[in-house]
Amino acid sequence: MDPLTVALPKGRMQDEVLGIFAEAGYRTEPDAGRKLIFPDVTGRLRFLLAKPGDVPTYVEYGAAAFGIAGLDTVREGGHDLYEPLSLGVGKCHLALAGPASWLGRDLRKVPYLRVASKYPRLAQQYFQQRDLSVEIIYLSGSIELAPVVGLSDLLVDLVQSGRTLKENGLVELETLMESEAVLVVNRAVHKLRAAEIRTVVDSLADVLARRKELR
Amino acid sequence: MNVPLKRQRPHGLNELYDEQAAIKSALEDRLLGIFDRWGYRRIVLPTFGYYESLSSGASPALQRQMFRFFDREGEIIALRADMTPLTARLVGTRLYDSPLPMRFCYSGSVFRYEPPQAGQRHEFTQVGVELIGGASPEADAEVIALAIASLKALGVGEFQVNLGQVAYLRAALGDNSVQGDRQEALEQAIGRKNDAEVATLLEQIGVSREAERQIRALPHLYGGREVLANARDLSLNAAAREAIDYLEQVYALLVAQDVAEHVMLDLGEVRSMAYYTGISFHGYVQGLGLHLCSGGRYDDLVSNYGPSMPAVGFALGIERAMLASSVSADLGVDALFAADMPASVRRLIAALREKGLRVEIDVVGRHGKDLLDYARQRQATRVIDCASEDRFALYDTGERELSRDELLEEVSRWTH
Repeated sequence: MDPLTVALPKGRMQDEVLGIFAEAGYRTEPDAGRKLIFPDVTGRLRFLLAKPGDVPTYVEYGAAAFGIAGLDTVREGGHDLYEPLSLGVGKCHLALAGPASWLGRDLRKVPYLRVASKYPRLAQQYFQQRDLSVEIIYLSGSIELAPVVGLSDLLVDLVQSGRTLKENGLVELETLMESEAVLVVNRAVHKLRAAEIRTVVDSLADVLARRKELR
Repeated sequence: MNVPLKRQRPHGLNELYDEQAAIKSALEDRLLGIFDRWGYRRIVLPTFGYYESLSSGASPALQRQMFRFFDREGEIIALRADMTPLTARLVGTRLYDSPLPMRFCYSGSVFRYEPPQAGQRHEFTQVGVELIGGASPEADAEVIALAIASLKALGVGEFQVNLGQVAYLRAALGDNSVQGDRQEALEQAIGRKNDAEVATLLEQIGVSREAERQIRALPHLYGGREVLANARDLSLNAAAREAIDYLEQVYALLVAQDVAEHVMLDLGEVRSMAYYTGISFHGYVQGLGLHLCSGGRYDDLVSNYGPSMPAVGFALGIERAMLASSVSADLGVDALFAADMPASVRRLIAALREKGLRVEIDVVGRHGKDLLDYARQRQATRVIDCASEDRFALYDTGERELSRDELLEEVSRWTH
């Protein structure tokens, strides 16, 4: 059987995630990560490094069987995937934030609200559920600038420590969703190679359970 | 610079030509040929209809995907998003008193507005069957076996049919007084096999321990025959047990027909057409990240249009099949003739076509090297050039000069 391909997010989380796979029995050569695609030592898996936002796409099309991606990215993209396992890393939440003057204000009483975000779909869904009419201004980074310079009233962005918000004189108003790195699986591959997929998922789950106990 | 609109196409539409177009019709022909040999009669259905009629029984998600517009009377018209409601309407309104069961097959475009990703097209071709009037496991097993025969015929390599039971899911979820938004959220979480999310939702809803055990087991209920016993053990009500009994009978019939090796029982798959009431299945092939065909039992759909009638069917996406199929198309020309041939040769050309050979005449009027270059592009196996009324050149594996009589003699020997 061909090795199962795992799409990994290049960068911050890469080593941490490879560590989890190594502990589960899928070790890689120490300097393997310098290539974009490399096997594990057992030959059962093959890792590819992709831009974090692209990981769900690789998996949805079946170019990779598995992927590791932030739940926020998966949901924002509306990707149709299985999410059998949360990895407990990369924890953060998607928050509505703005200048402190907005604390305690009832948003339903604001007729026109402009919100900057890198997550237009999730933001829109959230505001629709709350019956608010909001203009979403899409930005691809440095979202916290938007309210500061008057581009928007509020922003929706991922918050990890909250430091960036603080530094820009912003406060969190509401939480839209909790996020962390999840294992995503292609639907068709999950059906066709069920036993192999299960072995990988179970061995990763064992590692996560062990780590939880140690903590 | 903007490309003028008249040169553009809306997203998600196909224009096929050359090999792709030939492969598509070859696959359609193969499937329709199989359906014919299983006794399924062809039906031709309209491309659009009243939204009210086409959306009946569809899930809200599919309803949102339907292309809609107004006709001149102001009624809402929709393009068909699948063939089953149209078949159900045909049966419910016109054919309800025909002898049962009725076996129908179809091939045609369906239209769905879907975000442009992962192989989703706005127009794609569905080839499928509907077996109407059979309420027994025998009918379900026939349709599943026919889906398997179809997948085999497509030359898609290794494939698998995942067989689930909507009635079991409904019994499991319905017994827990979960409703509205939460039911949808729960189904979505089960659909993603997201265990943590399912657990959180069940806690919020506050279901019994047994119900929680049953629902959390759903994503893991896949495999061979053993799944049936596990599912039965987890059942909390008679409806769930009956659903499993029925599935077991269908599975036994598939075993008896020697096709069970392709079947994986999969009770945790919640994604299927909203109108399914019993078994449902999806076909997958190695190397394609999407399902290739899907089907199921829909006992409550025909009654939307007329008398109640049990039914089961499946449809296969031809464009997806083309991604996986090893079927190739031969576009090669058997003989290419230069244009200015004498009448006696032209009569032979007509005879060759009668015999089934693919014969082209070069209406552009090329000769010599130009004709041979063109012949190469058309993959012509024989080229006949004409130098004068009685001097011809034949290029096949070699190159020969022939008189007219020799040419006539030669050509009359060619067969397909």
